[in-house]
Amino acid sequence: MSNGNVKITPLVLSLGIISCVAAVLLAWVYLITEEPIAAAMQQKTNAALNEVLPAFDNQPAEETVIVGEVKFYVGRKEGQIIGFAGETVSHKGYGGDVTVLAGLKPDGTVTTVLVTKQTETPGLGTVVAERKREKTLSGLISGKKETGLPPNRILDQFNGMKAEAGQAPWAVKKDGGTLDAVTGATITSRAVCGAVFTIAETFAQNRETLLKEKN
Amino acid sequence: MNLFKEFSKGIFKENPTFVLLLGMCPTLAVTNNAINGCSMGLATLFVLAGSNVVISLIRNVVPKKVRIPCYIVVIATFVTVVDLLMQAYAPSAIYEALGIFIPLIVVNCIVLGRAEAFASKNGILASLIDALGMGLGFTLSLTLIGGLRELLATGSLFQIKLIEGWKYSFMLMNQAPGAFILLGILLGIINWNKLRKAKKDGRDWTPPGLDCSQCNLCDLGKR
Repeated sequence: MSNGNVKITPLVLSLGIISCVAAVLLAWVYLITEEPIAAAMQQKTNAALNEVLPAFDNQPAEETVIVGEVKFYVGRKEGQIIGFAGETVSHKGYGGDVTVLAGLKPDGTVTTVLVTKQTETPGLGTVVAERKREKTLSGLISGKKETGLPPNRILDQFNGMKAEAGQAPWAVKKDGGTLDAVTGATITSRAVCGAVFTIAETFAQNRETLLKEKN
Repeated sequence: MNLFKEFSKGIFKENPTFVLLLGMCPTLAVTNNAINGCSMGLATLFVLAGSNVVISLIRNVVPKKVRIPCYIVVIATFVTVVDLLMQAYAPSAIYEALGIFIPLIVVNCIVLGRAEAFASKNGILASLIDALGMGLGFTLSLTLIGGLRELLATGSLFQIKLIEGWKYSFMLMNQAPGAFILLGILLGIINWNKLRKAKKDGRDWTPPGLDCSQCNLCDLGKR
């Protein structure tokens, strides 16, 4: 095992031992963080579902139905369906995919819209997508605390809308529709609008089968 | 060896961001607000401290020829540990904002640079102190850049709005070009200040260039 005057064995051995120790250490850290990571991810999904669904007592994150491009979470209370949350990904965002989560009443009316994942331009696209309450210095000093979902003018305009199966898609004003868009962020507004319509329309088409979902 | 000197050199005299100009990728990419900058700095600080201690421990055992691969394995291990811990315990907003830049600490020049230039030649305590100083210097620089960018872009600091009713936001500072512009201005101010001091003392001072021999991170350029 010698190559010229360099002995390879100690080189291989030392690197090998270090790698083995590293692998064991990583396996140990992986084992102890596995549960908290799963819990954190679960909590993230649940936090978003809590915002869009009425008070539920089942586990909507575990009760999902996938119809076409939309993933529906079923919200129940005492076994009765009280609402759905539809999630879909729009590929038409300006900076990548935009994931939209919309709450629906059992009759198909949109209740709340959230953008759960986006990489839009800060200050333009994010105005459409983010629900964010700004902390201010005076608010912090006076100890004023606001709760509830922060409003977003663009996302809130979908509240109460309802799609019929096979109807023409909703559109922003620039495309001859009725919905407002943020100036400078038409593409993001369009993507969000399209995604909400996809959710509402898919629901309208499959309403009967979705409502029959068994526990 | 003066331990305090080892500690403070990372913050002022050999500040990784403003003097050594290392780790520019996270410096420019994740400093869009003070919280992101600070948490990126702390993650790097942890990796730096861990890897410096371990490398200083194994410095006499590892053959010279394979030292760099060994160091990288050690560093990568610590980075993966940080990544897993942040996924599990850090607020999800911070983890999402830092995203790919946490795994990329592996290739951060500061970490391998300190391993090669300091930990492989010094004892455990000195290496730890060096890592803490360098890490703190990096954290403070990132927080400073992040805070300034946040303040200039939206008038807030640590996500708290300082200037109320500032409606027109200056979003250039929130994006990558703003980071370049601000870093350039800060480096200019620092170099101008150094030149001014050197003139006062009657010393000769040349601004740091891209010349390897001017950097005192490793002795490659001085051989």
